[in-house]
Parts: sequence; C-alpha cells; structure tokens
Amino acid sequence: MAFIDEGPREGRPVLLLSGNPTWGYLYRDFIGPLASAGYRAIAPDWVGTGYSDHPRVDAALTLAHHVADLVSLLDQLDLRDFVVVGQDWGGPQGVGAALQRVERLGAIVLMNTWLFTGLLSRFHLSPRPWTTWHAPLAGQFFMKRHKVLSHHGPSALSRRGLSEEEARAYHHVFDEPDSDHVVLTWPRTIPMREGDRGWGDMQAIERRLAELEAVPTLLLWAPEDVVFPIEHANRLKELMPWAEGPILFDNAAHFLPDDRGPEVARAVVEFLDRHRGDRS
Amino acid sequence: MRFVTPCEEELSCLRGDPLLVEQELDVRPEVAEAVEKAAGFRAGRLWWRSEHDHLYALELGDLGRGRPSTATLYGFWDRFEPRPPEHEIDADLLAACEWIAGLSPSMNVSDIARVAEHARIPTGWGEGSVLRTPEERFANLPGFPYAARSVEVEGLRIAYVEHGAGAPILMLHGEPTWGYLYRHMIGPLARLGRALVPDLVGFGRSDKPAAANAYSIRSHVRWLGGFIRKLDLGDITLVCQDWGGSLGLRLLAEMPERFGRLVAMNTGISDGRARGEAFLRWRRFSQRARSLDVGRLMRRTLAAGRLSDEEAAAYNAPFPSSEYQTAALVFPRLVPIRSDHPGAYDNRVAIERLRALDLPVLLIWGAEDAITRSGEAHLRSIFRNVAPPVSIAGAGHFIQEDAGEEVAARVADWMKATPRSPRATARPDL
Repeated sequence: MAFIDEGPREGRPVLLLSGNPTWGYLYRDFIGPLASAGYRAIAPDWVGTGYSDHPRVDAALTLAHHVADLVSLLDQLDLRDFVVVGQDWGGPQGVGAALQRVERLGAIVLMNTWLFTGLLSRFHLSPRPWTTWHAPLAGQFFMKRHKVLSHHGPSALSRRGLSEEEARAYHHVFDEPDSDHVVLTWPRTIPMREGDRGWGDMQAIERRLAELEAVPTLLLWAPEDVVFPIEHANRLKELMPWAEGPILFDNAAHFLPDDRGPEVARAVVEFLDRHRGDRS
Repeated sequence: MRFVTPCEEELSCLRGDPLLVEQELDVRPEVAEAVEKAAGFRAGRLWWRSEHDHLYALELGDLGRGRPSTATLYGFWDRFEPRPPEHEIDADLLAACEWIAGLSPSMNVSDIARVAEHARIPTGWGEGSVLRTPEERFANLPGFPYAARSVEVEGLRIAYVEHGAGAPILMLHGEPTWGYLYRHMIGPLARLGRALVPDLVGFGRSDKPAAANAYSIRSHVRWLGGFIRKLDLGDITLVCQDWGGSLGLRLLAEMPERFGRLVAMNTGISDGRARGEAFLRWRRFSQRARSLDVGRLMRRTLAAGRLSDEEAAAYNAPFPSSEYQTAALVFPRLVPIRSDHPGAYDNRVAIERLRALDLPVLLIWGAEDAITRSGEAHLRSIFRNVAPPVSIAGAGHFIQEDAGEEVAARVADWMKATPRSPRATARPDL
C-alpha cells in the first residue's frame, strides 16, 4: 500500500481517502494547504489503485479487505487523533477502518459518499450505463477490455474539465493490462440488495455510526453530483445528526476534491483548526 | 448466437485466446443461473460462431458452489496467423454480452449497444484503416470500358463490373490481379448471360484494409458471400482462376443452391497436402517481398500473352504504393500448406460437400501453368459431372491473359451444350 506523507511528523494525521476510479492524485490540492497549516497529510492509494499493488484477484478487493488494509496502515504508522477525509469509497472504507480504531479517531470529513444501504441514486440503479457497465462479462468487456471507467471516468465526471495531463495522471496507473481490476470490483461491491457483496459490511458500518457521536464530523457536498446527490448528504445528516454541514459547493460534481480543490481544502483546514484537540 | 459443436480435428488446429475472464460470474447470481440454464451445464464449454464466422467458447467453471462461478470467454484463432481485427472481436463480444443480457432478468439487451455507443467502442473499420485507390488511377484502361459499380459488405466497398443480361456468369480473379484480367472474356460471355466481375477485397477498385490480419480465407469467403447475397445472385455460372477458385469453391460448398455450373481454371482447393516446388518458391519470394510490381510479374509469368505498357500499368493501377498491397502480399501465405492449418481443415470440410454436388463442371488448364498443375486432377476427383479435359496449349497460369478469347470460346461452347444442373438451380431461401 503506497501513500503520500507530507507535513510535520508531529502534526495531526489527516487521511485523504479517494474512491473509484481515482487514487491519491485526487487530493493534490490538499497536501500543501494541510501541511502548511501544521497537519500531517497522508494520502494512501487503496490496494488496486495508484502506486499500491494491483492484485488481479476479485476476492482481494472487497470492502472488508480495503478496510483491513487501512486499519493495518493506521497501526503500522501508529496514527493517533487521526482525521478521516473520504470521498466516494473513501467514505465507507475510511469510516469502516476508523470504527475499528475508534479510540484513536479525531474527526471525520465526508464528501459525496455514503455509509448505508437502502438509498441508491438513479445513477447507481440505472441499467444504463451503470449496472450494465459492470454486469457479468459485460463488465469485463467495458471496464477491462476497454477501460471505460478507469480511462474516461475522471474526465467524464469532472465538472471543471481535466487537462490532458491530468486525465493521463489519473489513468496511467491503470494502463497496464489487467491492472484495473479494482475499477470493476468496486461497482460490484456497491450493495444494492440483500445478499450482494458488501451488503453485510455496509450494514455493519451503518449500525455503528451512533458510536461516532463524540467525533466532530463535517459534510462537504457537491449537489450537482449525480452519483451521490444531495439526498445522500441528507441521509448522512439523519444518521449523524451531530455532523456540521453539509456545506454545498457549486461548480463541482462527483470529484469535488478535484473540481474545487483549494476551496474544499480551506474548508477542511478551517474545520480542523476549530476542533483542534476536541477528543484528546 | 449460432451455437456449434466443433470437432476435435478442427480444435487441434486452433489456439484459444482468453478475451474476457470473469472470476465471479455469480456476483450476480441470477445471471449465473440464467447462463447455466441456457448452457445446460454449470461447468463446460459452450461454442458458437459469430457473424464474422469466428469461433468462440464460453467456459463455465463451478468452484464447488453448485452454480457457474467462473466464466472465461475465448476466441479461437488460426494458430499460424495473428488474431483478426479488434473491431470484429469487439462486435462479436458485444453480441455475446447481448445474449447474456437477454437471458438475465436483471439486464436489458438494448442497454449493451447503448452503453457501447456511450463509451464509443468502435465496431467498424477505424479511421484510416481502410485504403481506397483513387479513381483517377483507373482512367483510360485499355480494353476495359466497363463502368465500376459497387456494393458495400461489412463496411467495405466491393467493386465490380457488369455486362450483358440473364443468368449471372460470375468471374473471380486471383492473386495478384483484378477484374481487368477477364477483359478478353467479358464481351463474349456477356452474350450468354450477365457477366459479373468483382474485385476481391484488397484488389482492383475494391476497398483495401491496411492491416494484414484483416485477410484470411474465411474473411474473403465472407466478403464474397456478402457480395452474392447483396446482389441476390442465383443460377450462377462460376468462372474462376487461382484464388478466385480457391475462394469460389468454398462459396460453392457453402451456398450450392445459388450455383448452376462451374468453370475452374488453373486453381485448386488445398486440403493441406504438400505443395509443388513452384508454388513454394513463389510463397517464399512473396513473403520476403515488401512490394510487388504486378505488371512486371505478369509479363514474366505470361506464356503467350504480351502486355503493352498501358496494360502492364493497368495491373499496377490498384496499387499506388506498397501500402495498398497488403492483400496481395498476404495471399500466398494463406494457402494451406500443412494439414493442421485451419484453412486446410475448412477446405477438407468444403471438399466433402463438393463431392455431393452434381453440377456440371468444366476444367480448363493452361498447359504451361506450373503453379496449379496438380489442381486439375484433384478437382476431377472431387466432382462427378466433369466435362472432358480442356488443355490450352501455350497458356500459362494467367490463362485469361494468355488465351482469353480462346478460353471464352471454349466456355461459351460448353455453356451452350450444358444445361445448368436442375438440382442446383432452386432459388435460395433468404
């Protein structure tokens, strides 16, 4: 598992957690501001993405595995009073890991993500393109043979429009044949119905959210996102009524940390500064 | 989906290429169950031929879960050739995905094509992948006043000329020529029927895919079959030479109901037996060559015929540069010279079908032709209803050029004396 680790060693660790089909590069606008504000910015690449190993085995890329990988990172770096910042899969995987080290968790920032079953956007329910993109065999055709999501997802969903270099930076880690397994296993882990892979793990996270009541939580949201529209922020707010926000960002879509990087980073720093040492 | 059961003999000539590897087919259990129901098993291979005539298999595996859990989709290709163009594979895989979507209660067939469109997955010839010889190269061809017509098959323009009316007389040229080769025969034969002379894909005025893997015996047969179906030809008298015969005989085996008579000249259908030294020399030469001067090659090969400079230029007209010659450079390599060549297997199947036909056959051979000398006896052994042999003295491999008028006269005499096989004249059922 590869990670970026910038800023003062003794600074409060802020874990910047990306989702499908991105990697640590998503948070490039966050590292500098966090580090200069005295925080230790850590951006791990989930196993299967970025500069981490890319196993070619479906079973190594489940929600439970990703959570276990992050727990291991928390332990190996011996991170204390850490902050989870998560977008997309960074939400459930980050919070899922934090729940296993809840005594060391300092704060949570969630952006366009979800931590529950039972509410899915039209995007995720729609056969076109989403469920068709990752259907059995069709998924192998679209996602792996043609790399539709890994190579075109970020630029297609970007609100601001990526430069060619930025688009290439996102997908170059998936250029090798068969290196993009996670791009297919992630959609297949989205729990749509009981019995789906990820259903039980997601429900376990949802059930335990109440344990986080003392943890300062912030919701930052791009309401224009079709993947996790504002209803998902509202649902999170119901489940975590202590959360601040959602602070809404226009001119942004699914990849909020990319679309409005500097502004969102500033909001995170401001929030963390206000809650310095709340739980220590 | 055209499901088939390939035989061991064919499979032993092919290599399997995993195209889609599904580790967890039962990530959507209803799909796994639907596939199992359609296949009739939860572990095994389901085979089909695509619209491009490629062979595919879906291999299901049960990892002890009581249903198909893994699925690997293989393409099976000629062991001695590169795999076919990717857009053909993409189109075939999309068709397979649509089949699965149609089985599954949780998927819509129409979504596959729409998602593919959304993702801009090309299922046709890409920009720049097909060359077309500029029209002006064909201006003022000596002795060839016929207007070019064309039909489109699989996105490729197949050019042909047409003269006369009545039952079609289909003349197929071979390597490395084009319809121009038949110019001495079109006029005389057009008095007996509708003379039709197409250019093979990659030759003459037809479109020319630039990549070598576009060309195989199967693809040529498919394209010519498309030509015949597009023009809805029936009651055909097939006149063919060289590759025109090797391909034409495959067409005859595939759609015998459309053919009434056969005139084969200096040609053959290889079952994979060793070839004569003259052919192997030509094969070696052609596979080393980066380009062919067809006019010069014709002049060197002709036994009696003499080409004017303009006529020699007409043979080079289709090829402004060697880029345009892929089909011509590939052809010699496609002749099956080993029995484990898939083309040899396909030809053996075709030969068995040809044995069952009783259509009238005329074999005309150039006495000086070294390249296809053995073909005459072979074809004589295949067909039942063969006219007495016609050997043209002083004619070589390009018999239409060496002795076109004489050959046309012999064909015309035979046609007048030979009614088309009544059994084979039934209109095809489209």
